[in-house]
Amino acid sequence: MFETIKLAKGVNIHVNETTQFKTINFSIKFKSKLSKDKASARSILANVLQHSNEAYPSHTALRMALDDLYGTSLYMDSSKRGNEHIVSLNVETVNDQYLSETGVLEKVMNLMYLVLFKPNLENGLFKESIFQREKNAVKERLESIIDDKTRYAQQRMMELALSDHPAAIPANGSIEEVQKISNEMLMEEYRSMIETNEVEIYAVGDIKPEMVADYFRDYFKFTDREKTPAPPSMALTKPAQPRVAEFEDMKQGKLHMMFFSPVTFRDEKFPVMQLMNGIFGGYAHSKLFVNIREKESMAYYVSSSYSSQFGLMFVLAGIDGKLEEKAVNLILQQLEEVKAGNITEVEFGQTKALLTNQLKEALDSARGQIDIYDQYMELTEAFEPEYLISRWDRVTKEEIAQAAKDLSLEMTYFLSGKESVANA
Amino acid sequence: MHKVEFKQLDETLYHEKLDNGLEVYILPKKGFSKTFATFTTKYGSIDNHFVPRGETEAIKVPDGIAHFLEHKMFEKEEGDIFQQFSKQGASANAFTSFTRTAYLFSATDQIEENVETLLDFVQEPYFTEATLEKEKGIIAQEITMYDDQPDWRLYFGIIENMYEKHPVKIDIAGTVESIQDITAEHLYTCYNTFYHPSNMVLFIVGAVEPEGMMAFVKENQARKTFEEAHEIERFFPEERMEAAIKDRVLEMSVQKPKVFVGIKPEKLDFEGEEMLKHELAAELAFEMLFGRTSDFYHHAYEKNWIDESYSFDYSLENGFGYAIIGSDTAEPKVLAEEIKKTIAAAAEKWPFGQEDLDRMRRKKIGFFLRALNSPEFIANQFTRYTFNGMNLFDVVPALEKMEVADLQKAFSLVSAESQQSVFTILSPDKKEAE
Repeated sequence: MFETIKLAKGVNIHVNETTQFKTINFSIKFKSKLSKDKASARSILANVLQHSNEAYPSHTALRMALDDLYGTSLYMDSSKRGNEHIVSLNVETVNDQYLSETGVLEKVMNLMYLVLFKPNLENGLFKESIFQREKNAVKERLESIIDDKTRYAQQRMMELALSDHPAAIPANGSIEEVQKISNEMLMEEYRSMIETNEVEIYAVGDIKPEMVADYFRDYFKFTDREKTPAPPSMALTKPAQPRVAEFEDMKQGKLHMMFFSPVTFRDEKFPVMQLMNGIFGGYAHSKLFVNIREKESMAYYVSSSYSSQFGLMFVLAGIDGKLEEKAVNLILQQLEEVKAGNITEVEFGQTKALLTNQLKEALDSARGQIDIYDQYMELTEAFEPEYLISRWDRVTKEEIAQAAKDLSLEMTYFLSGKESVANA
Repeated sequence: MHKVEFKQLDETLYHEKLDNGLEVYILPKKGFSKTFATFTTKYGSIDNHFVPRGETEAIKVPDGIAHFLEHKMFEKEEGDIFQQFSKQGASANAFTSFTRTAYLFSATDQIEENVETLLDFVQEPYFTEATLEKEKGIIAQEITMYDDQPDWRLYFGIIENMYEKHPVKIDIAGTVESIQDITAEHLYTCYNTFYHPSNMVLFIVGAVEPEGMMAFVKENQARKTFEEAHEIERFFPEERMEAAIKDRVLEMSVQKPKVFVGIKPEKLDFEGEEMLKHELAAELAFEMLFGRTSDFYHHAYEKNWIDESYSFDYSLENGFGYAIIGSDTAEPKVLAEEIKKTIAAAAEKWPFGQEDLDRMRRKKIGFFLRALNSPEFIANQFTRYTFNGMNLFDVVPALEKMEVADLQKAFSLVSAESQQSVFTILSPDKKEAE
């Protein structure tokens, strides 16, 4: 699917030449070690770089240039995977064959260069007013999480359970760390990102791999950099408190449970855990959905998810504030069913079919292709969907039951309204 | 079967209206492995006052019933239909909007089986009082979940402000109280009235072979018997042009105050080509005035009145519509005033010329072409356009024909002070501090 060309040591470009899409997608990913201060600085950096640059010194000027290029979309974001923090520049532009104008692609690639290499500086630092404004924007983005109670509850549980472990560090950092970042520190992070981070460049669309590779080689001139050795996996430590209840002004109760699994993305048993999670709570045919929602009619949403980087499984449910205990019992009961191997052929087949469908479907979007390839790159050189699918076919019921037995419930977090306690 | 080629877009659309009135559209996408299908009825939360099929007197039904019906469609005597889709490797879902109820699936395998399941489960209702009760608990949790979301409250708050009588002001899911009144008989009445094939559209897009699929759908439909197609009589209250409530505050715990300014269009009975033109022209006008390259955005950003939550939008359906502009802000009053001033100034003297139009037009064409990568966008939007007598693939030609005067004309219908309203969410503590 992707053809990889090395541009420098630690810098690769992966191109998928395809006529499937009417657009051309780029993603340039800068990868660094994850820590709270790095994540905070790099989130501000993503905002500052996408704001403006030397050639387009105001937000308006840059956005007008993008509008002129047929509404080319350009944005930067912060994400994380395992011990890694990733800043991405994402660009999507229309293939000019659908337009009456040519040369759009060259202009777009030049804009990407400007965004990354010609920032908007004064006296060797980022323009102070923009720095302050964007620092504040990231801080407010973090503050606003509390308005989304599901996200907030998940973040609180992770903070309480695993505090400084990479699994608990948000991709945008923390409010405290964001406040500490100075313009000088941001400049230092910028240099380190451009000069020392590993870089993976992706391009998907009707373009020639050699042509794009040449362009990035000749104009971006990325220098050699050391490949950061894969960081040692960080062991999970047991949370200090196995059960925490907190209260906010709200009506629904948000139940979040965290389990440890010894199986991670890199393990041979990874496909087993994917199936186990799917059967337990990953889909609308799963045990949690059928029993907690459809039979008990206790919840509108109830599901499990498997976070494979560190071997974590979560269960999330929105329930009446007074029914925490009942919900926890019912959820654990369903887990017992999986442990006992009470899995029908139908459940097994459904879950395999949906995992397969999900994978194939994700490959029908350029972003999906990039995300999946970038994730699986560390495992195999040649990414083969058919190979991944065949791994699910080999899993047995006994293995799934064993994977469920190997789970340990480590934390139950319940966020609910102040009133539900008063009335209880 | 009709075949329409859109050469510039490199797309071919196949269409047939079946004998029972069902409109079937098929759009093959080269290189895709998935197929996405939607089966949609022109029936949404606003259709709460109508003459039931076979009767002469109009009735009113409880709030939230279209959404309730959508949930109940999935339950059959033999069990939950999600199970069937999962067996066939398909992810299924459904949604209810103000004007539509859509049932959908996406799959990379067993497409005919899944299309059959989709058609059959929507065309074979099974409602009993016992299963209704159970659903009430689930939907009550869904409503409660939305109640806790300040952005959802903000959105509905501004619509409630603008509309005095029109059912668009009623929450799509109804309330925990209103859904208690729903009976199996209600569901059958609504179903029989609105789920006739002649009120529905089937759209299939993706890895699909058009001739074979069309034959398959026709064969499925020919096996079933339906009553005669008939015109559905729906009633909507007379709505005045002015916003019903000028200004209202909701107290709710939020990190930062939130404010929306809403503007109700002066004319609400658009359809067909006229609607397409007005909608696109108004969208372009609001993009120029409030988009990320506008003077307003620049100024508001510099002054710190807006943040990353800032948004603006123009929505239009037959009978209702609204422009909405707003943001989380420490200065809700100032921001609302500035938005109103910007509208007033543009109404007084239109500030944009040909060059601005050309840029926005390019942006819109680019956005549209990007969106055509998405089977979900194509199926959902095409259906919405069809129900409003428009064709999605006319967007680019209509944009190319657009003139500055069209934008001015469209904007003049969505700008008067009397049509505007402000809705604010403040934390109880912050409100006292004011």
